[in-house]
Amino acid sequence: MAEAFKNTPPAPEDKGAMTAQNIAAALAGESQASQKYLAFADVADADGYPNVARLFRAVAYAESTHARNHLSVLGGIGTTTENLKAAWGGETFEITEMYPAYDAVAKLQENESAQTSIRYALKAEVDHQGIYDSTLKGVEGEKDLGGEAVRVCPICGHTVIGDAPDECPQCGTAGSFFKEF
Amino acid sequence: MDEAFEKRLPKPEDLHAMTEECLKAAFAGESQAAEKYLVFAEQAEEEGFPNIATLFRAISFAETRHARNHLRVMKGINSTAENLAAAFAGESFEIDEMYPAYGEIAKAQSNAQASRSIKYAVKAEMDHKWMYGEAREKALDGKDIAAQPVSVCLICGHTVIGDVPDKCPVCAAAKENYKTF
Repeated sequence: MAEAFKNTPPAPEDKGAMTAQNIAAALAGESQASQKYLAFADVADADGYPNVARLFRAVAYAESTHARNHLSVLGGIGTTTENLKAAWGGETFEITEMYPAYDAVAKLQENESAQTSIRYALKAEVDHQGIYDSTLKGVEGEKDLGGEAVRVCPICGHTVIGDAPDECPQCGTAGSFFKEF
Repeated sequence: MDEAFEKRLPKPEDLHAMTEECLKAAFAGESQAAEKYLVFAEQAEEEGFPNIATLFRAISFAETRHARNHLRVMKGINSTAENLAAAFAGESFEIDEMYPAYGEIAKAQSNAQASRSIKYAVKAEMDHKWMYGEAREKALDGKDIAAQPVSVCLICGHTVIGDVPDKCPVCAAAKENYKTF
């Protein structure tokens, strides 16, 4: 065989309802594990364990491959146009339904830190919804996004296309801390 | 990371039960969004939209910040020894409870791709459980783990410390498909 062996992630399939539910739950579990390990890696770095930090980042990556595999089986990976629509839909749900409801509960129960965490997220999801919307319009005309940098506040997730502001409008973090993509 | 920077993060807080439920669900949502956007970035690259790929990666990072904030408020980020214990417990649950149950149902429903996605994950979680157990012993003595490379199969998430095998023992992907940390 001239071509090198090439493996592929598990493919989409028609599933039994219980299996579909389980794979969806496994996608949630793997995604959360991956995110926890990334946060734990930062702590390990701060605690002076650089090799444990590296282990956490490697295992976070492994959980990401599992999340991708489960998402593939669920048929959740489409074309970029479909993916942008799905992303827009997710952000819209969080903005109009999820975070307002959670915020009302956190207010009622006077949990201040929870309100801050919810507000940071909600404000950034509004940025994302707008950016996905204009990007989707471009792709429908078969155009890529412009080549400007995308910058993200490492505290609250505020997202801008182009230059970082002097100060994050949501949380006051200096623009020099923004991470550039 | 300076103090002023740290101060802007939402703090750990004693949460009422319903607010905690809300934050747990928000953490699950943000984690899944972050993982999906990474997969969507790869898809955008394949379709020749490099700037949209960058956008998906940037917004994935923003969702990672939200996930970390929610986790921090819920007191889910602790010392490295505690984080390793939490990681070990999570992997154990997936190996002993979650994936065996899901695997059984996928088999009963003759879902071959779901079975494959589950098998890949459970095999890798066994590697992770062992690595986290060893690392925790070290961290309890105030020691870092050894400075060896950690490599991950990008198809199935198989994780090794040290040399990469010629072929992945779980999914048979070639050596070139490993990512080294």
